[in-house]
Amino acid sequence: MRYIIYKLLIVLVVLLSLGSCKKSFLDQSPNIALTIDKAITSEASMLEAVAGMYRSMTTYYTFGRNYSVFGDLLSDNVYLSSTNSSRFLSQSGFLWTGESPEASALWQNTYFSILQANRILASNLQRTENVNYLLGECYTARALCYFYLVNWFAQPFTVSATAPGVPLVIIPANITGPLVLPARNTVAEVYTQMVKDLDSAASLMPADPKMHPNTTNFFSKAAAKALQARCYLFMGDYAKARDAALGLVQNGGFTLAGDKNTFNSYWAATAGRTDKLESIFGLNNPAAANNGVEGIDYIYSSKGFGDLLATDSLYQLYSPTDYRRGLIADSVRNKNQAYVVKKYQNATNTDRDEVKLLRYAEVLLTLAESYARTNDKDNALLYLNSLAKKRDPSFAGYDAGMTLADITTAILKERQKELAFEGLRFFDLARTNVSYARENMGTKAYSNYPQVLQTDFRRIQPIPRNELNVNPNIAPNPGY
Amino acid sequence: MGKKYNTLTTSSKMGYPGLVVQNRKTSVCQFSFTLGVLLLLIFSTPALAQSGSQTAARDSFFTLTGSVRDESGAALSSVTIKAAGRNRTVVSDNNGNYRLPAVSLHDKISFTSVGFASQELPVSGSKLDAVLLPAVKGLEEVVVTDGYRINTRIANVSAIGKVDGKVMENKPFASFQQTLQGRVAGVSIVGFSGQPGSEQSIRIRGLGSMALSSNPLIVIDGMIVNTGNLANNIKTMDALTGINQNDIESINVLKDAAATSLYGSRGSNGVIVITTKAGKSGKTRITADVEYGSSKPMELPKGGRPLNASQYAELFKEALANAGNTPDAIQKLADSYGLNSGKSNDWYNLVTRTGKQAQYNVGLSGGSEKTRFYASAGYFKQDATTIGADLNKKNFLLNLEHKINKRFTFSTGINASNVGQNTPYAQGFYGNPTYAARVLRPFQLAYNDDGSLNTSTTGNTNFSGVYNPLVIAKYDVKGMSQTHLLGNAKVKWNLFDNLFYTSYISLDYTGMEETTFLNAIMGDGKGVNGRSKNYFERYFNWLTRNQLDYRYDIPHIDNFSLNATAGYEAQKSNFYLLAADGYGFPSAASGLTALSNAATPVGTYGQNEGYSFTSLYGIASANYKNRIILNGSYRRDGSSRFAVNNRYANFFSVGGAWNIDQEAFFQKQKVLSSLKLRSSYGITGNAALSNYAWMPLVSYSGATGFAYNGIAGQQFVTPGNIDLKWERSKKTDAGIDMGFVKDRFSLVVDYYFNNVDGLIQNVATSLTSGFSGTLKNVGAMVNKGWEFTLNGNVIQTKKFYWNTNFNIAFNKNKITSLDANTNPQNGLFYLKTGYNFYTYYMKEFAGVDPQNGDPLYYKDNTHKETTNKISDAAYSVLNKQANPKYFGGFSNNFNYKGINLAVDFTYNVGNYVYGASDIYLTSGAYYTFNKYLYIYEHRWTTPGQVTDVPKYAPSTDNSTSTYRLYKGDYIRLRNLSLGYDFATLSRAALLHKYGINKLNLYVRATNLATFLFDNRLPFDPEVSYSGFDSNNMPKYKTFTIGINVGF
Repeated sequence: MRYIIYKLLIVLVVLLSLGSCKKSFLDQSPNIALTIDKAITSEASMLEAVAGMYRSMTTYYTFGRNYSVFGDLLSDNVYLSSTNSSRFLSQSGFLWTGESPEASALWQNTYFSILQANRILASNLQRTENVNYLLGECYTARALCYFYLVNWFAQPFTVSATAPGVPLVIIPANITGPLVLPARNTVAEVYTQMVKDLDSAASLMPADPKMHPNTTNFFSKAAAKALQARCYLFMGDYAKARDAALGLVQNGGFTLAGDKNTFNSYWAATAGRTDKLESIFGLNNPAAANNGVEGIDYIYSSKGFGDLLATDSLYQLYSPTDYRRGLIADSVRNKNQAYVVKKYQNATNTDRDEVKLLRYAEVLLTLAESYARTNDKDNALLYLNSLAKKRDPSFAGYDAGMTLADITTAILKERQKELAFEGLRFFDLARTNVSYARENMGTKAYSNYPQVLQTDFRRIQPIPRNELNVNPNIAPNPGY
Repeated sequence: MGKKYNTLTTSSKMGYPGLVVQNRKTSVCQFSFTLGVLLLLIFSTPALAQSGSQTAARDSFFTLTGSVRDESGAALSSVTIKAAGRNRTVVSDNNGNYRLPAVSLHDKISFTSVGFASQELPVSGSKLDAVLLPAVKGLEEVVVTDGYRINTRIANVSAIGKVDGKVMENKPFASFQQTLQGRVAGVSIVGFSGQPGSEQSIRIRGLGSMALSSNPLIVIDGMIVNTGNLANNIKTMDALTGINQNDIESINVLKDAAATSLYGSRGSNGVIVITTKAGKSGKTRITADVEYGSSKPMELPKGGRPLNASQYAELFKEALANAGNTPDAIQKLADSYGLNSGKSNDWYNLVTRTGKQAQYNVGLSGGSEKTRFYASAGYFKQDATTIGADLNKKNFLLNLEHKINKRFTFSTGINASNVGQNTPYAQGFYGNPTYAARVLRPFQLAYNDDGSLNTSTTGNTNFSGVYNPLVIAKYDVKGMSQTHLLGNAKVKWNLFDNLFYTSYISLDYTGMEETTFLNAIMGDGKGVNGRSKNYFERYFNWLTRNQLDYRYDIPHIDNFSLNATAGYEAQKSNFYLLAADGYGFPSAASGLTALSNAATPVGTYGQNEGYSFTSLYGIASANYKNRIILNGSYRRDGSSRFAVNNRYANFFSVGGAWNIDQEAFFQKQKVLSSLKLRSSYGITGNAALSNYAWMPLVSYSGATGFAYNGIAGQQFVTPGNIDLKWERSKKTDAGIDMGFVKDRFSLVVDYYFNNVDGLIQNVATSLTSGFSGTLKNVGAMVNKGWEFTLNGNVIQTKKFYWNTNFNIAFNKNKITSLDANTNPQNGLFYLKTGYNFYTYYMKEFAGVDPQNGDPLYYKDNTHKETTNKISDAAYSVLNKQANPKYFGGFSNNFNYKGINLAVDFTYNVGNYVYGASDIYLTSGAYYTFNKYLYIYEHRWTTPGQVTDVPKYAPSTDNSTSTYRLYKGDYIRLRNLSLGYDFATLSRAALLHKYGINKLNLYVRATNLATFLFDNRLPFDPEVSYSGFDSNNMPKYKTFTIGINVGF
């Protein structure tokens, strides 16, 4: 009997040892990430979400480099040196296909930034002044993203406002789920949303905010207005473009560099500005977080790859006394004479060049063009000269006797000179719907595609194949 | 015991209702509990053992004596002798004599010894002699294990492939997996990089999953270990590199449900069970092995050799001429590229070398009847043939078993190793020497005129893109040190009768130190005056198992037994990372490369990650006279890798075997000497997804990862899926084991059908969502196939012996279900229901227009029309796959009077491969990159020429098509060795005089020859399972000479 009790006891002990422990044994969670429902719970965490949104925009796949490079390389400002680091080879020769990884990266990464903006806008945090300001930044960011998307992947508004634009996604994937397959909205619908977002932004953001005051590394009321002026200009709504730009010129407090030294030190600097000189918005690339060799400075600067060179014809647009000519060096690349771009000068510094996306000079030119296109010759000349004469102290100003058409041409030329290497040239050629020549630089260039006709299907980037494959609701762009 | 924490359930307003995340960690309750049980058992043993001891003393007892001899009459020592139904066992002494006390008349006495057929003889007096015959019935003697039980082959119902430890010994491979290649039918092993110690990828019966790992679970001495590449920075080390092959007693590869469903949620990719050597009681045996040799590059396939200077110059000018440049312009450019400088170099020769190789192993085995031990120490060193790549490892193993008394056995094992590795950049990075050797122009000069290394990054004869690999190799540091500690302790307790309780704990510790230094002279560290990253990573993985085993012999029926096993298992693995990154070094040449010298810190990282599993399992089997064996198993798993609602799942299997050779009627035929049918069905799972995959996550990506302007930044980076479950694999297997001519020849055939459903697919999303995909259990696929293993002692005479082993496996993969919106373009593959997962999908090259040299493409898969505009060509689903139609190994051992010749082949047939950078290495659009020889030799140059390489021009063909798809078939002479065994000589007495009982001398060559079947193929076809060559470091040959001595 005693023996049987032993046996039973033993079995009991063993069976107990087989039993399971607490359920929490199976709970594991990361300590470097949060679930989405816990991400934005305070003003401070929303600020971090906004910082993350900006950071997503600094990637070289989009605003950090490629949007800017595309705007100049695909137009007539820049060519790819035959001595290069193998970047932008297909862009150089207009050889990209529907599988173009660069186009796909533009699309995917821009929508990723839009997701970041959308999920912040969808958070239901208690509204405070600072929260409102942060939301205003998100509206502006979303508008900027859509502006570049719609202009690269769709017809210019001025060519066809009813053409397919890009899908408008304004509700984030954590609410809709990630499996939504949106169709393309029209170009006009995209612009309408941008204008609306910028209105929201402007109304949410006071001109003198408590949140990161006065630094051009964050969107501000002025940035929203400047972008809105650009939107109206691209929509051909010149009256509204004029009003938006004029408001900023009259009330914004921005100034142009007054002399050559100020101008040069402006372009040499790496930090965002707090003095309202020239800059309205630019993405920061500090030592701690930049694109390294993939930065915009590295692809242009001779201290970096220096792959992209200014065309002879661009260089010749500048008079010898034009400050801006100083940003292009008459130099040598691989034993050939070459015009080397010096607008980005900090390729080998730890703190790197900002990517300037909105500048006061552009606002002035938008204002001038809006006046010209609304037949106000005097004001057009006034604002055109206010820039041109600042940039070239020897320049006496455009002649008051010019026709409106000549003035408009002069403004576009001035835009080319002023905004060169900032990614906007292609848009001007596209929205004015002109055929244009890309200068043949011979063996100095990697390849050549001399004539971009008005009818060239490559004026619009391909909707990425990896989008088309998944999303049957989206129509491809013709030609690819 | 564990503290109770509140479970926070949050109904999210963000569209994830019911999302539950616990934010506290639990204590290690199971772990401490097992420890407690172990201690309890150890300290309470004497009392319990005494009370448990019993003897059924009814008959009269006497002591039996006798001797055991073999056929020739030689005494056999170490034979185990036991009376049936009694506990006492003894072993024969060196003269073959034994004394077995407490025997009664009519007891049945069994005599067992490794290598001999067991015998059972009745007691008829006080003396009993036995003569043991050599084991001819291999199937009966071979023991297989699924990790939870040990079975004889005859009682086994599962498809288990076994590799004996002898095969593993003294192989000049850094990883044991490399030796396993080609050894087991249906088991494919690929180390796609030649980096010694690099990750070895294993597939058992084909692709197990689309999105999750398809690598099998690996169990070492009962421990489910962390496998694969565990490092985060350098990523070229396999977690198990530290395991010394010479320590392996056996490797059992579990392939079917009957064996793998015991591993529940982690068994679907198959399981590899590794057992290390245990001690043998008796005289302490010492073995010492020394091997020395060199490694040499394998020849590049002819089509893939880089061009020499004059060939390159010719193509360069041809490209420019074909682009319409004037001779003047071409001349000018050619000058700038140094084509007329008369200075050039051969990059392939510059980045390859002859390396050194050595290994030393010492083993000790011995013990008494009560305590047995096996101890070993080893050192292994190997240089790859690519500059900057090498490996060394040191390891130590101690396995100890102690019989506390007749009811308690305690055993423990400690396996410690450290592996050091240096490696260059891999893949398409500008510092990868393999890539550099392919793309660098012969006119980019490694050295300056004064003999110093060329570090210039400007000018066309220097390094504006790809770095000078010699500079990188000289000044960069990319090193890793991996320490692996694997230990276990086990108590086995015979509670009473045939009831056993086993308590087991094991710890698996992997510590990794990764150090990189990027020099300030050239490369990625240049702009910042040198950059260093240091990573410390640690995996601490523990497992505890408590198991009851019971055997019940059905009364009154001989040899009819039931076995039952029940157990509980808990496992937890935690990963810890501490890393820092800094730049601004004093001077690269000074050797001050330690991170502390960095002037500017740029990153600090510290984080944890983990997973846990709990499992309940049970096994039941019935064995009727070794004729009919039935087996059933069940397992319930819980895992941290799934949301609360999907945390638990059940798995089971049923299997059976019929040993027809045990039936009376079998004896009537003469063709077969043995015959067995076996079959099983069951469900296993795959939970090898990343630890937090189901969670929709917002991440900060470290201090600066998503920071902007000095503000920490968060991004919504993972969509997550709270409905995610494990993948389930329903496995069916039917096998037949046949023996011929007294089992001199054996044939094992298996047919299997694995139906995997609930496949997790990274369902492609519209990129407009901000994500490119999200995980969902939507897919299903089938793997089915045949496996054949033929083993034979073709010649078996006293002087000459030839054993051959041939295995072949055919696997067919077919996707049977997918998400409706699945993008059929899955990289290079066609992802569609009804197709093999690895079916190539690309535009089809139709040859070259003989008139103008344009590449031609088929407009569609009817092949009726061709076009020279690739944009007009449609994508075609090809009848070509990246996975082989069949593969296997063929090994031979010849033995003549102690001279041993081993010839082992592996082969792989019917697959196609693609090169990551081949566009650059074949297309004239990239005329500034060097090219493959095949392009030079076959390019179109003159109208009317029929060839398969288009005109060499910058405007031609630079996209993906079958133009760059190659046949991947190969047969490789994997191992060739010639050895001589001095100890088998009858004149070996001299050796014995000095106590040497084993002396073996051998020479060995690996990868001596590879036979290829596509003359366009530019690289070695042993590439990743997806058929992709990512500029991996080439594998190489080794030539070694070795000696094994035993005392």
